[in-house]
Amino acid sequence: MNIWKISIKNIKSKPLYTFLSVFVLSLSITLLLGIQQLKFSFKHQMETNLSGIDLVIGAKGSPLQLVLASVLHLDNPTGNISYEDAQEISKTSMIKSAIPISYGDNYKNFRIIGTTQDFSTLYNAELQKGRIVKNVMEVILGNTVAEKLHLTIGDTFLSSHGLVENNIEVHATPFKIVGILKPTLKIIDRLIITNLESIWNVHHHESDTNHEEKKPHDTKEYHHEKSEEEITSLLITFKNPAGFLTLPRKINKQTNMQAALPKYELDKLYEYTGAGFKTISWIAYLILLISGITIFTSLYKMVKDRAFDLALLRTYGASNFQLAKIVIYESLIVVLFAYILGFILVKIGFYFVLKIIEPNYQQIVLQKTPFQEVLHTGAFVLSIVIISSLLAIYPIIKMHISTILSNEK
Amino acid sequence: MIQTDNLTFQYKKEEHIFNFPNFTLKKKENLLILGKSGAGKTTLLHLLAGLLKPISGKVIINTVDLNSIHNNHLDQFRGKNIGFVFQKNHAIQSLNLIENLQARLFFSKKTIEKTVIDSLLKELNLNNYKNSKINTLSVGQLQRLNIALSVIHKPQVILADEPTSSLDDDNCKIVIKLLKKQAAQTNANLIVVTHDQRIKSFFQNSITL
Repeated sequence: MNIWKISIKNIKSKPLYTFLSVFVLSLSITLLLGIQQLKFSFKHQMETNLSGIDLVIGAKGSPLQLVLASVLHLDNPTGNISYEDAQEISKTSMIKSAIPISYGDNYKNFRIIGTTQDFSTLYNAELQKGRIVKNVMEVILGNTVAEKLHLTIGDTFLSSHGLVENNIEVHATPFKIVGILKPTLKIIDRLIITNLESIWNVHHHESDTNHEEKKPHDTKEYHHEKSEEEITSLLITFKNPAGFLTLPRKINKQTNMQAALPKYELDKLYEYTGAGFKTISWIAYLILLISGITIFTSLYKMVKDRAFDLALLRTYGASNFQLAKIVIYESLIVVLFAYILGFILVKIGFYFVLKIIEPNYQQIVLQKTPFQEVLHTGAFVLSIVIISSLLAIYPIIKMHISTILSNEK
Repeated sequence: MIQTDNLTFQYKKEEHIFNFPNFTLKKKENLLILGKSGAGKTTLLHLLAGLLKPISGKVIINTVDLNSIHNNHLDQFRGKNIGFVFQKNHAIQSLNLIENLQARLFFSKKTIEKTVIDSLLKELNLNNYKNSKINTLSVGQLQRLNIALSVIHKPQVILADEPTSSLDDDNCKIVIKLLKKQAAQTNANLIVVTHDQRIKSFFQNSITL
């Protein structure tokens, strides 16, 4: 026999109280852990997907929309810009790299991006198997795309127009998979990458067939007027910070394009959403506090109800400290189970939430909350419960054994 | 051995001061303390156990003056050397019969061989209820468990507070005989406080408050 065993026996003898305490506490832990994971994933997504992109140039419209669409691939593009104009900007001396991207099609909700080979380098993405895109209508797949759609090298597919899967506007020209990227935990994992020519040709070919009779498809026969070529946006990395000062202003004032600073726009977005996260966090802390009060009142009542039992233990030779340990161990067991349950509930919750929303938001990559953060929440919950327990054991310290034993019922 | 010396106690200032008679019990000697309600029987018992501090006087158990021991040591001393039997029978509800005995031994920091525990339970006719929950035991079984709890750790003194007041004559006899037998087996002093005159004949030494 030892104090742990007595605490466990006490817990087992009050299943309803134990269940309610564990359940209420686990709800607040679930909320806290869930918010932490969402917050961390959100921030991580934004930071990693910036990948050194200093500036995004695209069609006029909302700068946030341009950044969301071109960097996080979450929104619709603001429009197209001339590739010729983009190439002209790329020649500016302060630019280290300028990567054109063009999109507007998807395959089973995964976006198809027409770009250059530099795009993969931007995200440090390496080939897992196959080779890079060399010809028109060839694609390489982000790791998640290949995994989720069970596609492999040599497979072909037909893309749909727009960014959401549909069976109405399916393009006639098939794409052929020539490579699959290694996982990067960045947005590129969820993209299908081809060259700019493929995107132009798919759309050019489609518009041609609207007017002309359909002809057998020949991928080698794509020709365009240079001036017709358009892209969605241009992802710029500067050589030095001086570029931030002049280029965005110049583009916004002197051209029909807009330049958006992704870090600035995403920081703004994080500020807006941060307020929401903060509110939910406060609600979770409030629930935790209520759980703490619930545990305190339950333990306090238990100490009062079991006053004779505790006095009896004192006559057995138990010290006040040992009695306090019995109560504290009971709360520790409740915290442990509540934390495990909270952790499981977060996992189950996110599994189902993601399952429901994933078809529409293929880009969501949930990050594991760092262990330190989980530990921090655990320590916070533990301290709330320890404080509740210490307050609850106050009657034990003040207990007058003789009076309790004299007033036995 | 237990001895009291000019023991006085007062619950609150300006309240009645209890003056208790001196007595000395040698090893294995028993004492019956009789008195009406309010005479201070339970108060004396709690003074003997160190649960109350006297305003003057001493309680000495095996040369140790209880008033001279620090509170924490007093808990340990009480756990090791004193056994209690209460008027109403109590045990820790969340533990079963054998676990209650194990808890008693744990807190008194004593190790008793399993065979000794088994023979005690057999003697008290409780060996078939080892794993029974406390709330499933009958009044008689619970009373016997309380006697077991008061002697399992082989104390120097067994203090019984009105152990027979709610019992009929037959059960009264059984309980007193059991208590005396167990006290004799463990070489302990048995001190019973009661207003129950039926048990007077079982004791050679008695004092009235």
